[in-house]
Amino acid sequence: MPEPLPQEPYTSGGGRAPEDGAIAATGMGGAMDLATSEGETLEKRPGGPDGTGPWDRPRSLWSDAWRDLRRNPVFIISGLVILFLVVISIWPSLIASGSPLRCDLAKAQEGSQPGAPFGYDGQGCNVYTRTVYGARTSVTVGVCATLGVSLLGSVLGGLAGFFGGLSDSFLSRITDVFFAIPVVLGGLVLLSVVTSNTVWPVIGFMVLLGWPQISRIARGSVITAKQNDYVQAARALGASNSRILLRHIMPNAIAPVIVVATIALGTYIALEATLSYLGVGLKPPTVSWGIDISAASSYIRNAPHMLLWPAGALALTVLAFIMLGDAVRDALDPKLR
Amino acid sequence: MLLEVRDLHVEFRTRDGVARAVNGVNYGVDAGETLAVLGESGSGKSVTAQAIMGILDIPPGRITGGEILFQGRDLLKLKEEERRKVRGAEMAMIFQDALSSLNPVLSVGDQLGEMFVVHRGMSKKDARARAVELMDRVRIPGAGARVRDYPHQFSGGMRQRIMIAMALALEPALIIADEPTTALDVTVQAQVMDLLAELQREYHMGLILITHDLGVVADVADRIVVMYAGRIVESAPVHDIYKAPAHPYTRGLLDSIPRLDQKGQELYAIKGLPPNLMHIPPGCAFNPRCPMARDVCRTDEPPLYEVSDDRGSACHFWTECLHG
Repeated sequence: MPEPLPQEPYTSGGGRAPEDGAIAATGMGGAMDLATSEGETLEKRPGGPDGTGPWDRPRSLWSDAWRDLRRNPVFIISGLVILFLVVISIWPSLIASGSPLRCDLAKAQEGSQPGAPFGYDGQGCNVYTRTVYGARTSVTVGVCATLGVSLLGSVLGGLAGFFGGLSDSFLSRITDVFFAIPVVLGGLVLLSVVTSNTVWPVIGFMVLLGWPQISRIARGSVITAKQNDYVQAARALGASNSRILLRHIMPNAIAPVIVVATIALGTYIALEATLSYLGVGLKPPTVSWGIDISAASSYIRNAPHMLLWPAGALALTVLAFIMLGDAVRDALDPKLR
Repeated sequence: MLLEVRDLHVEFRTRDGVARAVNGVNYGVDAGETLAVLGESGSGKSVTAQAIMGILDIPPGRITGGEILFQGRDLLKLKEEERRKVRGAEMAMIFQDALSSLNPVLSVGDQLGEMFVVHRGMSKKDARARAVELMDRVRIPGAGARVRDYPHQFSGGMRQRIMIAMALALEPALIIADEPTTALDVTVQAQVMDLLAELQREYHMGLILITHDLGVVADVADRIVVMYAGRIVESAPVHDIYKAPAHPYTRGLLDSIPRLDQKGQELYAIKGLPPNLMHIPPGCAFNPRCPMARDVCRTDEPPLYEVSDDRGSACHFWTECLHG
């Protein structure tokens, strides 16, 4: 379809004048509760007074949310921090030379110096290099755990909400059981038997304990979306269950899941650090902020820099993801416009 | 008969008890005919329509008896998958509130095109082209440009046209319109009804028009059935009913229409409230509100008496009502 769009709807007169007038005042009726800013629509749609102004492209909830986000300083700042984290976790050598595993005991606990701006830790490893390389672990754990939790949680919760009945009751009881497991205690018990050196057991543990949270939210929002008239309309026009779920319910129910998942990402990163600190999460030689914080905690009086840098990086990362989640939530909530 | 509903019973099982929403409804519609189903909220008119379409929420709803014959087949005996193919392609439904009946996150072109993708297996591009054609058909100005717009960017009347276009997409034999103009203002109502009537003539479809607006009915319907508490209380050709109703409830409805020559006078209203569907009064369900009610009305349920060849009334005293 060529852009810009032609102007007929607002210039064609003729027999149907009242209707034409009504379109110009787009969505005067019950549209207020929709996901678009009504004021924007009214002032921008008809173009300039001479009819030469370009039309906005039609907007959906998502494009509206994106427009809001681009103007939100919280989103810009947290987005830049996260972008930076992602870049350095893919290419840590961009800003750090040397290996995080090459340590020189002779330099143990030494302070800031050229080549090691954050100083050295108890084993004589370069804290700066380790902090940079630790980002990869944190981002991997956070992103993978969030993806796994969101996928599992929204599929199970969504199906339970959609089909209801017995499957729903069954799933709800299972979520209750998982909710009852304390995360740290569960981690201590379950992860202490794992011997693998990779990040996957930790991610698996987070998915196992995290999915009920998303599943509840997905279930709730699918039940809400299911009751919409357009779902019944789609059914009346012959759409199948899978089509109704994927095309009519999911796009209208996914927003709360995205919001909670973004905020949860930060907490998964913190949880990984917690578990590693307790000695049941990641294990050396994996480089992780949690491991470093744990190792540094015994030297906190004589070499606080060993603790401060990885802890600061962790706090900043968690904060960035939570801020991002907040911004996304605001952008996706039409009531806040 | 294109569609024939025979002795349909629907009930809803709730925690508080069983609500009998439809209790033995019979009606039929021919190709090219418009049947208006009239009644207050809770009279079972929409539930009957949902049962015909097969979009009743089951549970809590349950069809406990009857047949729905559509082009000779009993729809209630079809498998869900076969039924789904009938919906949209052979019978379609227009809903009351077009804004909430259109998916806010999909453009109208996508939603119109979906009909062709689902039922005809068309490609997205062809479906889009057909969507533009349809929008032209229901006289949406600048269809080609607006096909990418979202539902909230249209006015109420235009949205209802889109709903009509969706229902008409596959040229079904039967359309059920559930209060299609209730959410619109009066001038737009007339336009939408005219369009619907015109398209119906053109495609020679059967139309079931569910409404509580007697003004709309007079212009477009061929026959009227009046429902009360899940039963049909009167069934008649449209002109007969307006001339002389044969049931006190119909009379009450007609008397409640505001009239210009009664300016300043108090509006007539049928006293009382519709019955609770969990406790439908014995005898004639209308008896507690009926000005003509006598002892027999409180004990014996009136059958649908034959008033003439094509007319019936479920009132023991229909002759009295008809002539007085």
